[in-house]
Amino acid sequence: MRSSRWVLLALALVVALVAGVLVGTMHLSLADVANGVMGVGDSMPIAVVRTLRLPRVLLAALVGAGLGASGAALQGATRNKLAEPYLLGVSGGAAVGAVLATALHAPLVLVPVAGFGGALVAVALTLLVARASGGRGDARVVLMAGVIVGAFANSVIMVALANADASAVRGALWWMMGSAADATWPQVRALALFVGVGVLALLAMARAIDVLALGDETAAGLGVDVVRASIGVYIAGALLAAGTVSAAGLVGFVGLLVPHLVRLGGARTHRTIIGAATLAGAALVVYADIIARVALPPAELPLGAVTALIGVPFFLVLLRRLT
Amino acid sequence: MPVLRSPISLRLLRALRGTVLLAVLGAVAGCDRRATERASAITDDFGDTLRIGAAPQRIVSLNPTTTELLFAIGAGPRVVGRTTYDIFPAEVRAVPDMGPGLRPNVEAVLAAHPDLVLLYASADNRDAARRLRASGVATAAYRIDRIADMVRVTLILGRLAGDTTAAHRTVDSVSATLDRVRRATAALPHPSVFWPLWESPLLSVGGGSFLNELLEIAGGRNVFGDLPQPSPAVAFEELLRRDPDIILASAASNQRFAASDRFQTLRAIRDHHVVVVDSTIATGPSARVGASALSLARALHPGVMF
Repeated sequence: MRSSRWVLLALALVVALVAGVLVGTMHLSLADVANGVMGVGDSMPIAVVRTLRLPRVLLAALVGAGLGASGAALQGATRNKLAEPYLLGVSGGAAVGAVLATALHAPLVLVPVAGFGGALVAVALTLLVARASGGRGDARVVLMAGVIVGAFANSVIMVALANADASAVRGALWWMMGSAADATWPQVRALALFVGVGVLALLAMARAIDVLALGDETAAGLGVDVVRASIGVYIAGALLAAGTVSAAGLVGFVGLLVPHLVRLGGARTHRTIIGAATLAGAALVVYADIIARVALPPAELPLGAVTALIGVPFFLVLLRRLT
Repeated sequence: MPVLRSPISLRLLRALRGTVLLAVLGAVAGCDRRATERASAITDDFGDTLRIGAAPQRIVSLNPTTTELLFAIGAGPRVVGRTTYDIFPAEVRAVPDMGPGLRPNVEAVLAAHPDLVLLYASADNRDAARRLRASGVATAAYRIDRIADMVRVTLILGRLAGDTTAAHRTVDSVSATLDRVRRATAALPHPSVFWPLWESPLLSVGGGSFLNELLEIAGGRNVFGDLPQPSPAVAFEELLRRDPDIILASAASNQRFAASDRFQTLRAIRDHHVVVVDSTIATGPSARVGASALSLARALHPGVMF
């Protein structure tokens, strides 16, 4: 990818972050926002910027970064242009872990940990189902297994919610639609850790993913332990899914869309694809969250609904170009 | 545990309201014409008619508000089934639990051998009402969202249960208390109030809720009273912009607000203008609304005698 494209990408992200802090129901000038970030001047802009907008914008950026990176890695490792954490059942597994932890009143820090557990179980199930049907090496079988595991995860959540009261169900459904509205600094720090570790791990595995993308036989011929490399990608993907799902619920189509965009932008090796998808994903989700905030005041739209509304038509166009 | 409905089902119910009113008026007119017979049938909020025969002896009530109203008019001992969420009055806990009240398990309800089943009139319950009727059980569904609904349904329940005197007594007592509170607060300044129903997503009492009516009677002004839904989702920054004088909260919510950086940005939280309310009054407009309005008025206007 040309360096001008990297500059453009970084610029898009910076504009997104600034716009994210600037735009909101309360009218704040650029000077108010700058003072708010620095913590000087009137206490109201400081409170709005530091307590409400900054954590929200950063959380959205981290969610997008995690989803973009994991989508890029999973598409490469499974040689499947439709792969993403949501479709492989990984997000669903993370959601089950997080919902169960919340239902059992576990402390807040354990929610992403439970989500990680759920995501790992979902990965294992997906691979087992694929193997049992004799098609572990077949990308389509793996994807189908992922969809089945995701559907199963959905029903587990529905059972867990069967006897919950109406408000709790509405809260859970809202969360399953994805939202960055309730972002807090501890959440941002926890997600930064998950996304940092996950993305770095994927970047470290980028060469192996390049080889996996050539096909299992070729990869084995080139001396790559296919099973081990795939499992590594799945674990890092599970980590990213667990972090993002615990922080902002299910935000779909980002992991699907962003890798295609960066490949269209000229990214070829997985080091580039994953790196660029991290930045592009972050920018996309911050823009989507701005739309969620301003589209229908005084209410807010679910973030996942906005990413789906942007993502689906865009993806249909991409699909036509790819096939 | 407020019973929340989706805006779509609410709109449907609103659309139905006109027809229901006409049907009720029709029934009342019929009653006048045949005064000696008394009314032999009533129409419920699904538009289905119900013949009034012998007073029912085994009532399953799958809406906490109707259950409370039945107890208030003295029909409590005949209630043989309730929802998971019933907590008022205390003796209702001894009645068998038949689930959350929406989309009930029809076989479990039939197993209690009821001669009257009362449902909440939401689209979720249409099917259950149809199947219960098909099984030969008298079934009526009522939407009790506003204080006027409480008055209307209490009088209907009085006729169904065979004690119209007790129903009138209950309605008169509640109305008298509400009028007293309304008169007492009319001349007082009305502070702006935020009444959250849920924190994530942030749901507020909206203009479509009886809690909004209660708040106005008690001498407060709901900052989200302009929104037509009963429990709209609202953005936190919008709440900050509307800057309420007072926040109503359950004791547990109050503790969470005190520990939350987000809520500390609100003037009312920083100035400790939080009024702790009994969250069970949000369940529905029951016979307790008079007492609820009185305690709310006392909390919003400390130092004023009511």
